[in-house]
Amino acid sequence: MKIIACAEARADRIEPVSFEMIEAARSLAGDGDEVIVFFAGKPAADAAVAFGAADRLVAAHSDEAELVPAESYARILREVIAAEDAALVLVPYSASGLDIAAEVAARKGWPLVAYVNAVTHDADGIRATAQMYGGKLLAECQVTLPAVLMVNPGAFAEAVPAALAANKVREIDASGHVRNGKVKLVAVELPDPADVDLATAERIVCVGRGVGDAGNIDPVRNLAALLNAEIAGSRPVVDSGWLPRARQVGKSGRKVKPKLYFALGVSGAPEHLEGMAQAGVIVAVNTDANAPIFNVAHYGVTCDLSELVETLTEKLQAASG
Amino acid sequence: MNILVILRMMPDAASELQPNEGGIAIDREWLDFQLNDFDDHALEEAVLIKEATGAHVTAIAIGEGANRVLQMAAARGADEAIALDAEEGGLISPRDIAATIAAVARDKAADIVLCGVQSGEDVFGQLVPYVGALLDWPHISGTGRVTSARDKLTVSQERGAGVALTYEVALPAVIGVQTASKAPRYVSGSKLREAAKTPIARATLQPSAFERAAMLVKLSPPARGSTGEMLGDDAGQAADRLMAVFAANGFLKG
Ligand SMILES: Cc1cc2nc3c(=O)[nH]c(=O)nc-3n(C[C@H](O)[C@H](O)[C@H](O)COP(=O)(O)OP(=O)(O)OC[C@H]3O[C@@H](n4cnc5c(N)ncnc54)[C@H](O)[C@@H]3O)c2cc1C
Ligand SMILES: Nc1ncnc2c1ncn2[C@@H]1O[C@H](COP(=O)(O)O)[C@@H](O)[C@H]1O
Repeated sequence: MKIIACAEARADRIEPVSFEMIEAARSLAGDGDEVIVFFAGKPAADAAVAFGAADRLVAAHSDEAELVPAESYARILREVIAAEDAALVLVPYSASGLDIAAEVAARKGWPLVAYVNAVTHDADGIRATAQMYGGKLLAECQVTLPAVLMVNPGAFAEAVPAALAANKVREIDASGHVRNGKVKLVAVELPDPADVDLATAERIVCVGRGVGDAGNIDPVRNLAALLNAEIAGSRPVVDSGWLPRARQVGKSGRKVKPKLYFALGVSGAPEHLEGMAQAGVIVAVNTDANAPIFNVAHYGVTCDLSELVETLTEKLQAASG
Repeated sequence: MNILVILRMMPDAASELQPNEGGIAIDREWLDFQLNDFDDHALEEAVLIKEATGAHVTAIAIGEGANRVLQMAAARGADEAIALDAEEGGLISPRDIAATIAAVARDKAADIVLCGVQSGEDVFGQLVPYVGALLDWPHISGTGRVTSARDKLTVSQERGAGVALTYEVALPAVIGVQTASKAPRYVSGSKLREAAKTPIARATLQPSAFERAAMLVKLSPPARGSTGEMLGDDAGQAADRLMAVFAANGFLKG
């Protein structure tokens, strides 16, 4: 069978998750199967020297837009699926992947499993393990081919970059699709260099929705200062305006890798873990002993976060004299 | 302009979620149900567009506690309320409800369908792309700021690492809201009581538009990482242990 691994660009670079899709496809490909990378974006030339872990590359390129919108991406992908007669399509769970995976499944009439962490292939088809309820439960799903899987970032290692022979690369022109699309990219906003750079912070104290309200953040700020740590927040905390956007950790925020990550009232949804699961020492405080954050935490506390903040602050103050 | 906003009731994420005896659904008996967080943002975005343009907002709610949430939606500014009778006890699977939502969108001559970007029960895919595909309308997920002009919306989308994109989307369209342009508003008790009079229409679930589906064969809690040390629920004891951990890792110095 042919497996299509979907790759993604972000403006001028290839998203690392693209290599994870290739690795996932490779893990499913047996003798005689073929792994084809599909890529749509501006740095199409880079794709040819990067995706050598796959057997072939189909690269859709457009000068119309810095980034091919998901709508156009999905249309070209469907043409490629048809032309290749592919049996399995792996789409990354990304902002674009959310619009691509189910749209392709719907229009092809194929089944889809989303938020996939692990997958095996046997004579009956595909067995995929998917996350549900913010990572609180795992769903094992049986799928017959052809099918689409939307795969979680971080679930697979990255395939090693290598060059593809020129005869393994097919380029197609995406301009028509981009021009005719009903979703048009009109602006790209890059991070403000003056903002705090959480990506390089060595210690981070992160508050989640469990903090309750804005007024409870000040004691946490104080604790963070005693630990010489930057303060950060989960999405709901930033959405509420309690911390600035540059301090959001996770999928649509910053990816961080500090030596200490201290999470207070954070449930540990997959989109949050994506941004911090690689931290050195993870400490989590959450009243819910089943919160998914404890699946990655090195130290877990199940008391009220305010109580712990208060007690720990006293001890840190005493220790610093 | 007509807006349809989709409100799905989900089990409270902070409660204990257990597979039931059959092992392929959760035990719902003791669960509290709440409005899906992202759908709350979708509702807010709908009301903000209404305030900016005078649009008519129809809210459709699905699942246990739908009536209560529809009253809240009316109190926040929805003009019309529909409860959708979905299968009791099962998932609110976007793959199965998409056909019904698309039919209501047509029936209400919607220009915009607003919905939360995802829910905890999206294991077979999200509502926004399914409804978009069925209606053959453009769709975009994970939106932040949404502003509307007559025949198009301008939306932003966070891409991580501080990169934000702005798109223009031609109407009619389906929008998957991640974060409303303003935090969802609170409504007063008196407004809620007043809204309790809002008539609630009923829609019935239509057959799924999609035949071949994946099959859920087993639901289970994830394995806990074996390296984790649980320090219990006593703040004093936990803080003592953490002080030792911090000291051992050099976190007490500069
Ligand atoms: C495309 C997309 C991108 C996303 N990007 C991000 C992202 O970048 N970052 C991000 O964080 N999320 C992101 N999310 C959202 C994510 O799915 C979750 O909704 C979010 O992470 C939940 O934040 P939280 O843990 O603070 O809140 P909740 O999930 O509400 O958790 C709050 C926790 O606090 C605990 N708690 C309550 N009271 C107390 C107390 N007194 N003491 C101790 N604990 C308490 C509760 O038990 C609960 O576990 C994204 C979602 C999507 C769809
Ligand atoms: N590039 C495109 N941009 C916008 N609409 C399209 C595009 N390609 C196809 N369509 C429409 O999408 C619908 C389904 O297309 P298809 O399934 O590819 O036949 C049809 O109504 C087409 O007119």
